[in-house]
Amino acid sequence: MNRLLIILLALSYTSVFAYSGEGHINLGDKASELEDEGKSRDIHPSLSEIRKMHPEFLLHKRDKTLRQGVRTKRDSLKACVNCHSTSKDGEYIPVNAPDQFCSTCHQKVGVSLDCFSCHRTTPQEDL
Amino acid sequence: MSKKLNRRDFIKSTTASTAGVATIASGISLTTFAVNDNPVTKEKRWGMLVDINQLSESDIDNMVNACQEENGWGNETHSTGHQKPSWIKKIKVKDRATGKIDSLPMMCQHCEQPPCVDVCPTNASMRREDGVVLVDKHLCIGCRYCMMACPYDARSFVHENLSNQKEHMPRGKGTVESCTLCVHRVDKGGVPACAEAVSGEGVIFGDLYDADSKINQTLKKIQSTQIRADLNLNTGVRYSGI
Ligand code: SF4
Ligand code: SF4
Repeated sequence: MNRLLIILLALSYTSVFAYSGEGHINLGDKASELEDEGKSRDIHPSLSEIRKMHPEFLLHKRDKTLRQGVRTKRDSLKACVNCHSTSKDGEYIPVNAPDQFCSTCHQKVGVSLDCFSCHRTTPQEDL
Repeated sequence: MSKKLNRRDFIKSTTASTAGVATIASGISLTTFAVNDNPVTKEKRWGMLVDINQLSESDIDNMVNACQEENGWGNETHSTGHQKPSWIKKIKVKDRATGKIDSLPMMCQHCEQPPCVDVCPTNASMRREDGVVLVDKHLCIGCRYCMMACPYDARSFVHENLSNQKEHMPRGKGTVESCTLCVHRVDKGGVPACAEAVSGEGVIFGDLYDADSKINQTLKKIQSTQIRADLNLNTGVRYSGI
């Protein structure tokens, strides 16, 4: 058990620092805009927290939304997709496509995502 | 973790949530609707009253189309016949004695005692405090017990990979789905898409418990029925004119 924990911790450590410094290679259109304006910290006050904890945030939020009808923007997957999608030639690329925001880290650490067999992968509004 | 509210606090905080627009960065504005961040409670029970006499065949078709449009089902290309999802459908009932045929829209009846919830092994099939019955697709293992248990044939199973879903309505292969009473609208103070698609008072949506609501008042006045009332499921969807 302990050994497992260490492996897990080591894994999360490397994944958390896989894109250390400010540069995620593909932040997404709106998120990049916010970063340029120096406003990313208004949304994610701590970079390491969101990198480590986003699965927990999403899990907590999903139950609150689905079972209790709490539909706030904070920690909603929709809001992640809205900010972190990248567009090319007037169209959004699915956020889980290779080398897009969600997949870069998950590819690296070998975690397969199952959010997007049901959830929409691009912002709803057209460009 | 969740703050306990007494009833008065709850009412205060609900009335205080108002619509507004906040600008977080130039070019990006977050429109906040009257989103309530309090959990739903059993002080409400959402329901719908369908008046068959006021609905034409095309009204019912419009309801079906509105549901498809709103929730994004009906474009499955690989599913055949009974595999095709159907959240709401037009059914015909015939009086054996007189031969009179009525058409009515049929969707999840949002039972108070839902058999689909009783049989679910994973607690995916669930009933919200305010009476809306949903499938938590995160937990659904696709066993389809609930489909067998539902007396109204209200549930469908997604047989194929989907993409381009509606933002507010995640759907995917291997899970069961059914009418959600358009909770994503209702939670923001709206009405279900099918009710909106009908002009006049053919479909009334509202809180069954609220004595001031139109649905409550109408149900007190007129003769209405629950389909298969003999099952004692106390459905949230009621019908009149049959
Ligand atoms: S109508 Fe069927 S799916 Fe809807 S709550 Fe009742 S048993 Fe469940
Ligand atoms: S198909 Fe899904 S919702 Fe239905 S009973 Fe099985 S696990 Fe529950």
